[in-house]
Amino acid sequence: MATYLDVKLVKYVCSCSKRLPVCRLYLCRHCLKLRCSDCVQHEVDTPYCPNCLENMPTSEAKLRKNRCGSCYDCPGCGHTLMTRASNLTLPDPEDATKTISKKMYYMACSFCRWTTRDVNIEDQSVASGAWQDQENEHAKRINNLLEHYRKLAQKEKAEKERKKYVKRRSHMYYTDKYGLTSVAAARKKTLSSISSLSVKDNEEAVSELEPGKRVEDFAPLPDDIFTKPLELSKMTCMEQRLSTPEFQPANAQKMFPQHKHLLIRKSLRCKECEHNLSKPDFNPLSIKFKIQLIALNHIPEIRIGGPAVFVPNKETRVVLTLNNPQTFDTIVKLLAMDDESGLTTAKIELPKKEMILAKRNDLAGYDDNPVKQDFNDDPSSIAFRNLNKVGVIVKVTPEVEQGDVIVSLTMQHEYRNTTATVGTEDTEPPVVWIEQKVFIKLGTIAEKVK
Amino acid sequence: MELQDLQYAHAEYIETASGNKVSRQSVLCGSQNIIINGKTIIMTDCMIRGDLANVRIGRNCVISEGAIIRPAFKKFSRGVAFFPLHIGDNVFIGEDSVVNAAQIGSFVHIGKNCVIGRRSVLKDCCAIADNTVLPPETVVPPFTYFEGSPGRFTTELPESTQELMINITVGFYEHFKPIGKPRGR
Repeated sequence: MATYLDVKLVKYVCSCSKRLPVCRLYLCRHCLKLRCSDCVQHEVDTPYCPNCLENMPTSEAKLRKNRCGSCYDCPGCGHTLMTRASNLTLPDPEDATKTISKKMYYMACSFCRWTTRDVNIEDQSVASGAWQDQENEHAKRINNLLEHYRKLAQKEKAEKERKKYVKRRSHMYYTDKYGLTSVAAARKKTLSSISSLSVKDNEEAVSELEPGKRVEDFAPLPDDIFTKPLELSKMTCMEQRLSTPEFQPANAQKMFPQHKHLLIRKSLRCKECEHNLSKPDFNPLSIKFKIQLIALNHIPEIRIGGPAVFVPNKETRVVLTLNNPQTFDTIVKLLAMDDESGLTTAKIELPKKEMILAKRNDLAGYDDNPVKQDFNDDPSSIAFRNLNKVGVIVKVTPEVEQGDVIVSLTMQHEYRNTTATVGTEDTEPPVVWIEQKVFIKLGTIAEKVK
Repeated sequence: MELQDLQYAHAEYIETASGNKVSRQSVLCGSQNIIINGKTIIMTDCMIRGDLANVRIGRNCVISEGAIIRPAFKKFSRGVAFFPLHIGDNVFIGEDSVVNAAQIGSFVHIGKNCVIGRRSVLKDCCAIADNTVLPPETVVPPFTYFEGSPGRFTTELPESTQELMINITVGFYEHFKPIGKPRGR
C-alpha cells in the first residue's frame, strides 16, 4: 500500500511531532508512544550484497569499504555485470600444429552492453575472484594520514584520562593549607604533559607524516582544446565520474568495473527506553521479524471511505473507516483537537458517543456463515460494519474558499498492554488508553462551475 | 483512501471453484501448464505463456489489464531452455507490464508499464515503481524499492509491507464485483 494506495492522506502525529502515515510508525509498548524512523536509534544488523544476497559480518564489511567482493556494477549504467564465458582457441604448447580451446571469462552489462573487453581488460581464466582492482595512487598517503590521526586520537584520549586522574588526586592533598601548591603542581603537571605530548610523544607521529604539497601551478590547457571537436560518445557523464570519486575517469576508455555496494538490514531501538522496536531475522532474505512493533498492528487505522465533493462553508457528509488490528473488541472515542499547527482548514463534527470496533479475526475470510455481531449502533453515526472495520459518518465544513480540505481529530483507543503481565499468564493484560492525533486530507474544494 | 468498487460485466469473467476470476478476453497459452492457486484476478488483455514453461501463481494475486507473463529463457550452447515461473501470494502486477522473471516472491508490487527483464529474481516484500525497466538477471532483495531505467535501488519499504500487500490484494478482490450477475443459482 505504501506504493499502491495514497497513504499520505491520513497522517498520525508521532511523539516527535512529525506527521507520518501509520505504516511508517512504530508503537513502543514500553513507553506507549508512537515512534518514527527519525526518532529511533538505527542499528546495523547484517550488511548483505543485494545481488548475491550473501551476508557479511560488520567488521569485514568495514574492511571491504561496504562493497561486495564478488559482484560488480557496470561503470556505464550502474547495473550488475554478468560473467560471460567464451571459447578461446590457443596453439597447443606441445604440438604447434594443433590448437586447444580454453574457456575465458569476461564481464558484460546486459543493459547498456558495456563489456570489460571495451576497455581492454584481459579475460580471466576463472569465472570469479581473479579480477584485479584499480590501484589508487593516493592509497599510501591516505593510509599514512589515517594512521597519523588514529595515533593523535589515541593520545588525546590518553590525555583526557590522565587529566581526570590528576584532578581526582589533587583533592587528596591535605598538607597544602591554601591550595596553592596543588594548583601550582597541577599547572606544572599539565604544562609538562602538554609539552611532552606536543614535543616528545608526538615526535614520532610528526616525523612520519610529510606535509601535503601545495599545488603551485597547473599545466596550461593545450591549444587544440578549443578547436578539437568533442567526441561525446567517448566522454563520461557526471554520474559516471562521481561513482568512483578516487579516479573520476573523464574518458570512457578508463571506466572500470566497480564493486557492488552492500545494503543493510537494520534493527530499530527506542531512544527513551532502549527496547527494540524492530529486529529482523538474521537472514537478509527472510521477511520475518523477531521483534516487530509496527503501529499498524496495534493502533486502529483511519482511512477515508471514498471521495467527496466539498463546497466552501457547506456541510459535507464523509465516511471514515476505522480498522481494528487488535484481537479484542476495542472502544474508540473520536474527539475534536485543538490544532496549534494551523494546518486544519475545515471544521469536523464527530460522533459524540464512543464506539466499539470488533476484534480482528484472521479466519473470518474462510467462514461461510459469519456470526453477526450486534453493537447497538446509532445509524446516524455508523454507516456500516464489516468484520473488524467500521464506517463512521462525520460532517465536514470547509472554512477556506479554495485548496485542500484538511481536518484534525484526536482518537482515544484501548490498548491491551501485554508487557505488564509477562510471566503471569493467568491475569488478563491491563487495558490502557492511548491517544493519537490525526490529520486527514479529505480532498480539495471543488472548482466553481462558471 | 479506501479501495473503491471496481465493477465488471458478469459475462466477461469466468470464476473458478477456488475463486479465481479470469477474463474471457485474456490469452492463456498452454493452460495445462498454468496453475493459479485461488482468489486471483486475471484481467482483460492479459497474456500468460504457459506453452513455454510451467507458470504457477499464488493466492490473492492481481494481474492487471494488458500485463504479459512469460517464463524466461536462457541461451545455452545448444538452443534455448525456458525456466518455470513461480509467482508467490498477494502479488500485484500493474497494467501493461511485461514480466519475464524467473521468480517472484510473495507480497510484491509491480507498477504500471514495467519491464521485468529475463531471469530476474524478485524476492518477498519488494516493489517496482511505475515505468521501471529491470535489466535481465536483476535481483531485487526484500524491503527494497527499485525505480528507473535501469531499475535501481532507491528507497526502503516499511516493515509493514507484508500487512499492506495482504490488505490491498484481499481488498481488491473483495471490491472486484460483477454486475448483471444472474442471482439465485
